[in-house]
Amino acid sequence: MFILRRFAVAIPTLFVVSLLAFWFVDLIPGDPALHLAGNMATEDELADIRHHLGLDRPPLERYMLFLRGVVDPEIATSFRTSRPVVLEITERMPKTLIIAIGGLVIGLAFGVVTGVICALRQGGWFDAVVTVLTLAGISMPIYWLGLLCIWLFAVNLGWLPAAGAATPAHYVLPVLVVATRPAALFSRLVTANLLEVMGKDYLDTARSKGLSEHVVILRHALRNSLIAAVSVAGVQFGGMLGGSVVTETVFGVPGLGRLLVSAVSSSDYPVIQYSVLMFAVFFVLINLATDLLGQWLDPRTRDYTAA
Amino acid sequence: MNQILSAVRSSFRARTVAASLLLATALPLAAIAAPEGELRIAVGADATTFHPHVNSLPVGNTVDGLVFQQLFRIDADNKVVPALATDYGWSEDGMTFTVSFETGHSFTNGRPVNAEAVAASFNQLLDPDSGSIYAGLYASLGKAEAQGEDTVVFHMAEPNGHVLMLLANSAAGIIDTEANAEMGAEYGRKPVGSGPYMVEEFIGGERFTLVPNPDYKGARPATLERVTFMAVPEDGSRMALLETGEVDIVDRVPAESIPTIDALDSASVILPDSMFSISMEMVLRGPLEDKRVREALNISIDRDGMVQGILGGLGTPSQGQVGPGTEDALRVTFEPKPYDPERAKALLAEAGFGPDSPLELRVNCPNGRYIKDSQVCQALTGQWQAIGVKATPNVLDLPSWSAAHQVPIEERSYDMSMIGRATAGIDFTVYRLFRSGVSANTTGFNNARVDSLLAEGRATTDLEEQKKIYAEIQQIVWDEMPFVFLWYQKQAIGIADTVTGFTIRPDETMLFDTVQVSVDG
Repeated sequence: MFILRRFAVAIPTLFVVSLLAFWFVDLIPGDPALHLAGNMATEDELADIRHHLGLDRPPLERYMLFLRGVVDPEIATSFRTSRPVVLEITERMPKTLIIAIGGLVIGLAFGVVTGVICALRQGGWFDAVVTVLTLAGISMPIYWLGLLCIWLFAVNLGWLPAAGAATPAHYVLPVLVVATRPAALFSRLVTANLLEVMGKDYLDTARSKGLSEHVVILRHALRNSLIAAVSVAGVQFGGMLGGSVVTETVFGVPGLGRLLVSAVSSSDYPVIQYSVLMFAVFFVLINLATDLLGQWLDPRTRDYTAA
Repeated sequence: MNQILSAVRSSFRARTVAASLLLATALPLAAIAAPEGELRIAVGADATTFHPHVNSLPVGNTVDGLVFQQLFRIDADNKVVPALATDYGWSEDGMTFTVSFETGHSFTNGRPVNAEAVAASFNQLLDPDSGSIYAGLYASLGKAEAQGEDTVVFHMAEPNGHVLMLLANSAAGIIDTEANAEMGAEYGRKPVGSGPYMVEEFIGGERFTLVPNPDYKGARPATLERVTFMAVPEDGSRMALLETGEVDIVDRVPAESIPTIDALDSASVILPDSMFSISMEMVLRGPLEDKRVREALNISIDRDGMVQGILGGLGTPSQGQVGPGTEDALRVTFEPKPYDPERAKALLAEAGFGPDSPLELRVNCPNGRYIKDSQVCQALTGQWQAIGVKATPNVLDLPSWSAAHQVPIEERSYDMSMIGRATAGIDFTVYRLFRSGVSANTTGFNNARVDSLLAEGRATTDLEEQKKIYAEIQQIVWDEMPFVFLWYQKQAIGIADTVTGFTIRPDETMLFDTVQVSVDG
C-alpha cells in the first residue's frame, strides 16, 4: 500500500518534470537543424531539415508527441542518429550503473568500517590517518583526481588501462575514483553518529542484558547510526548519476553522462529531454528505496495504519 | 556477366582491357600483401552515424571513405580523381551530366553496384524527406537516372561546373538504398557498402571496428586486418592512451602536450594543414561599411605572435579566405595581411575615429569550438584597444554564439564574430559566404562584380576559365576584407613509430590506403 501510494504521489512530480524537461530544452538558444546542416546552410535547407525533424509543428503538438514518445519508442528518436532514444539510453545505462553502484558500495563499505574503527579508537593514529584521507576525499574534485589516477596507475605504473570501457579492468579506476566521495562522507558520518549514540541509555540497557560489546555496537549502536547514512546514500547515489557526466568524460566511458553531454552540445533535444525525464524517474525510485530502508532500520517511522 | 553487356561501347572496352591487364599484373602483389596488423585510433569526437547523407564529422568521413565506393574521390594530394568512374561528359547545354563506371562490384550483402543502385543512392541523397542534410548542397544535380548497367545520367536542376567536386565528397558515397530501407537508423551504425572495409562492431560512444571486406575487388584493397576507433573526449586521457601504447594514433593533440608526446621513444606528433580558416566575420553596417576601418582592424593584430603565443604553433596566418586543401586547383593565395598598428591608427583617424569619438566594437567568440578561441578573443580586443578602438570581448556558449548569426543583420547584437569555415569546394564556400542575398552570407557582403563572377563560374565547365573567375573573386574578397582574416588551424596528430603510410587530408579525413603497422616496436 505504502509503495503504491508513493508511486501515485510520484506521478504529478514526473509530470512537472516532463513539463520542465520539454519546455526548458525548447527554450535553449540554438537550432538543431543548424547544428546538423553546419554553418554554411541556407534558410531553405534548414527549413527542410526542421520539417523532417518535426520542429516546424506547433509547440503543444510537439509536447503531446513527447509524452506519447514515453510509451511509443518509434516517435522518440534522436535527431542525430534517428535511432529510438530508448535504444541509445539502454545501450549506455549499464555502464553508468556499474560505476555508480560500484562506487557507492565500495564507498559505503570503506566508510562504515573506518567509521566504526574511528569511533571506537578516538584520537588514535588510525583516526588521524582516516581524518586526513576523508578530508582529502571530500575536497578533491573528481575530475582532477581522475586525471591523477590515470597518470599514476596507467601511464607510470602501467597496471590499468587509461581510458575506455572494453574490459572489467577499464572500470576499476572510475569506480575507485567515484567511491572516494561517499567513502569520505560515510566515514565521517558513521563516526559522528556512533559517538553520539554511544553514551545513550539504551546501550547500557543492552549491555546490562549481558550482551557482548560487539553485539551492542553492531546490532544496536551501528543500526541506529546507519539511519542517517542511508538517507545520505540515497542523495549520494543521485549525485553520482549526475556526476557521471564528469567521470565518464575523463575515463572515456560511454555512459548516460556522456550521452547527455554530447546531446546538449549537438542540440539533440529528444535525447536531452528523455534522459532528464529518466534521471527524474531514477530519483523517485531512489527516494522510495531510501525510505523503505529507513523504515526497516527504524521501526518508529513505519506507517502502521497503512500496513 | 554484366560487363559483357556494357563492353559494347568501344571506349569502355579499351579501358576494361587495360584494367584487366592491370588487375592481372597486380594480383600476385595483392596476394602477397594480405591485410595484417591492427591499427588503434583514439579520437576526440563521438561518431554518431556513418550514413553519408547525415554524417557531418571528419571521423565519419574517414569511415565512409573506407566503407563506401564513390564515382570520384579526393586523393591524398587533395585532387579529385576518378574512383569507379571510367568516363564522364556534359551535354551541349550543360544540363545533363553522364558518368560511366566500372561494374562487377557488389555490396557486402551481395547486391550488385549497378547503375540502378547508384542512381537510387543519389536520388535518396537529393531527397530532403529522407533526412539527407546535404539535399540542398547537391540540389543542382537534379535527378539521377540509370542507363543500362554501367551508366548514370544526372538531369541537372541548374548548370553547375563543380559537379566533380560534389561527387568526390564523402556524402556521395554509394549506399545500398534497399538495405537502408530494411535496416532504418541502424544503417548509420553498420552501413552496407562496397568499399575495402566494413564495420564489424559499433558500441555507441565507446568504439567501433572496421575489418576488411572479403569480397572487395577494387584498386585499393585493405592493408589492415582491423582498425579500431575509440572515442575519448578528454584530452589528457586520450594522450595517456598513446603514452601507454594502448592506441597507435590520437587526434587533436593539445599544444601543451606536443612536447610530452615528442619526448616519447615510441611516438611523435605531426602537424598537417587543416582547411579550417578562422576569421572574425564582420557585420557590414555603420562604421564597418567603411573599408578603411576594416583595413585598420585587419592590420592592427599580430597574427604570428598569437599563433605562437596562444595557439602554441597550431596555426598559419591566413593567405586568403579559403583554407588550404579547399579545391587547390582553384585556390589562390596572397601575402598575409601586414602588422602595422601605426598605419591602422592613421586609417581610423582618416575615417573619423579618434580619442574623442572612438570606434566601438562588440566581439563575439565561442568557447571551446576552435583552438583557444576564448583566449584569442581577449588578445584580439586587447590589440584593438591599443590602437584606440573600444573593443569588448563577449565569449558565448556554443548555442548562443551560433544562434546570434541567424538574426537579421539590422538586429545583430554584435559587430563581429569568430567563425571557422571548412568546406570541400571553392565555389560552395564563396557562393554561400559572399553571394548577395544568400542566407548563409551572414556578413551582408554585397558586391555586384562578385555576384556576376559567381554566376559565370557555375555556368562554365572549363577549368582554365574557372581558375580565372575564382581567382578574381578571391582577390576581391581579400581586398574588400569583409572579415578580419586570422589563420588556418593546424591539425596535431600523435602517431606511434610503428605506423607507416598514414595520411590525413586538410579536411581532417584520414586515409588508410597504404597504412601498415609493424608488430615489433
